[in-house]
Amino acid sequence: MPTPEKPSIARAAFVASLPVLMGYLSMGFAAGVLLAVKTDLPATPFWATLTSGVCISGALQFLFVDWIQKLVPLATVALLTLALNLRYAMYGLALLGPLRRAPFWAKAYLVWGLTDETYALETAAPYPPGPAHLRYCLLLTLFDHLYWIGGVTLGALAGAALPFDTRGIDFAMTALFLVILTDQLRSDPFARIPAVIALVVSGLAALGLGASRMLVPTIAVLIPLFLLLRPLLAPAARPQAPGKSTPEVRP
Amino acid sequence: MTFTPSENYVLVLTATAGAVTILLRSVPFLLFGHARRPPPAFIPYLGRVLAPASIAMLVVYCFATYFAERPPLAYPYAAPELLAGTLAVLLQFWRRNPLLSIIASTALYMLLLHVF
Repeated sequence: MPTPEKPSIARAAFVASLPVLMGYLSMGFAAGVLLAVKTDLPATPFWATLTSGVCISGALQFLFVDWIQKLVPLATVALLTLALNLRYAMYGLALLGPLRRAPFWAKAYLVWGLTDETYALETAAPYPPGPAHLRYCLLLTLFDHLYWIGGVTLGALAGAALPFDTRGIDFAMTALFLVILTDQLRSDPFARIPAVIALVVSGLAALGLGASRMLVPTIAVLIPLFLLLRPLLAPAARPQAPGKSTPEVRP
Repeated sequence: MTFTPSENYVLVLTATAGAVTILLRSVPFLLFGHARRPPPAFIPYLGRVLAPASIAMLVVYCFATYFAERPPLAYPYAAPELLAGTLAVLLQFWRRNPLLSIIASTALYMLLLHVF
């Protein structure tokens, strides 16, 4: 089989990434507006570019705004980043085989830049494992990464110029989490069980400790609790094809 | 060149979140990249249950933050939060368009804050 030419690989990756362009630009834009209107950062677009370039995550980008306002402890930041990233470590397990022969820098970038959407597109790549496939996956990751940075930075630029009363605009983060949870529960019936357990535990933590101190204790209870419940829950938690469950565009 | 306190905070925040992200994501490659042994079963299990659990926790966190500012047992009885939250979920069920659900419910919330 002849090796596909590099420009044709780039064109295929770009065309495949176009739906993600629309999704990341608009979702990133919302997060960028929030960063500009809710924090007292000078030169917000710079910080928008930096944060979105290092952490390509919708949930984290919205949480950053909240955390910058409250200067939350770094232990909270680390633990929450860990909980939100476990799923991508799972995707990494699935990529071990196809990436076995890839150079170190390529593996590192693919794993770092991984999102639900990029993973879904990579699993549908039109090339068999090999140099063309690797090039296609790297370009997909790069394009999606740039869309996300672009969306957040443009949002921060626009947010600085917003002329109207922005009180309540922070509900965008609440809405994002409600939307993600709705999608998770719809696509995966099993997800209801851990979701209800987490709702009860975090509800108790919010009542007992208050909103500002509930996150770390909740995770610290949930992880051992889920490990204890594993004999009960694991049979119901059949492995799911990652990425397939979240066709909606969302970093 | 000096940074403001919040700029310093963003720097360490980004470094912390970025380091945790890349370290955690490289664990499968470091542990299982060469050996062909599979990872212990509790790791995929934890990843599976923590995905919905952490988002459910963040939903509670968001509402708890609002309720700390405006107690839900006094007027307007959390009406803006509950109405906008319901709109987000219903729209997402109906149209499956995350951006539409987020923009519509946020706009409703901003409007309701002026009404109540």
